[in-house]
Amino acid sequence: MTEQDSGEQHGFHRHGDNAFVAEFSQSEREVLINLVEQIIELLGERSDNHVDDPLAAMVGITTHDSPPEDDVLLRLLPNAYADQVDAAEFRRYTESTLRAKKYSHSMSMRITLKSAVDGIIEVDHDGANDWLGAMNDIRLALGVRLKVEQTSHEELELLAPDDPMRGVYAVYSWLGWLQESLIVALMDEAI
Amino acid sequence: MVKLDEKIDEAIKEIFNGDKPWITIVWDDPVNLMTYVTYVLMELFGYSKEKAHELMMKVHTEGKAVVSTGSREEMEHDVARLHEYGLWATLQRGDQGI
Repeated sequence: MTEQDSGEQHGFHRHGDNAFVAEFSQSEREVLINLVEQIIELLGERSDNHVDDPLAAMVGITTHDSPPEDDVLLRLLPNAYADQVDAAEFRRYTESTLRAKKYSHSMSMRITLKSAVDGIIEVDHDGANDWLGAMNDIRLALGVRLKVEQTSHEELELLAPDDPMRGVYAVYSWLGWLQESLIVALMDEAI
Repeated sequence: MVKLDEKIDEAIKEIFNGDKPWITIVWDDPVNLMTYVTYVLMELFGYSKEKAHELMMKVHTEGKAVVSTGSREEMEHDVARLHEYGLWATLQRGDQGI
């Protein structure tokens, strides 16, 4: 896990009992929309091909019982069991539901961003949870590509200015800060 | 003479293990924020802030923590919900070492 410095920027804040508000610049909004659409597309790549078995499609059985080969998809749709046979069985009956839930978090985030007026977005508690899940999926995806597991934050901060991963790391850090601001606003309510 | 094969052995274990033989484990990972893990445990399991924070710290310092206990079906449900929010979780029989 990692600790996030809340810093002095704006981020999300609470408005009343059940509203969480943030203001984004045009470019910030474009970055967020771009990222969330990439997650939506990635989840779509794993969609089921049920042409041969409409019954399986109806009851939500996935055509996949082996884990995704892509590291990012594997992190988003991980094994539930250490045992490979149990993991495959569980995946067969649950992966399509998990994909649908992640898809709906991302779609919810995308819709709020697309319908923002003057860059201001407002979500209720459920909408905030969608945002948290979707932002977290984006951070998990970027984290896999940045090899956060094997690389220290110090090393990532020292990436060369012309290294494309430097920009990715900046976005990753900004998202962490944004996510943290929303959690702080939500936790206020929980006390 | 009766011989126990693996399947019968498993079924017998289940009978004697009582009603809470399965556990859900959350594993540490370098991406998830500490506050996020605490928040997700509060939201999904209805844990108090103190209990959720304690479990999060256990994951952070020891690399893993048992976050819930129950039947296999209940634990599969818990793992699915944790995966929905991006936590790295698995389930297993409680009498197996973790």
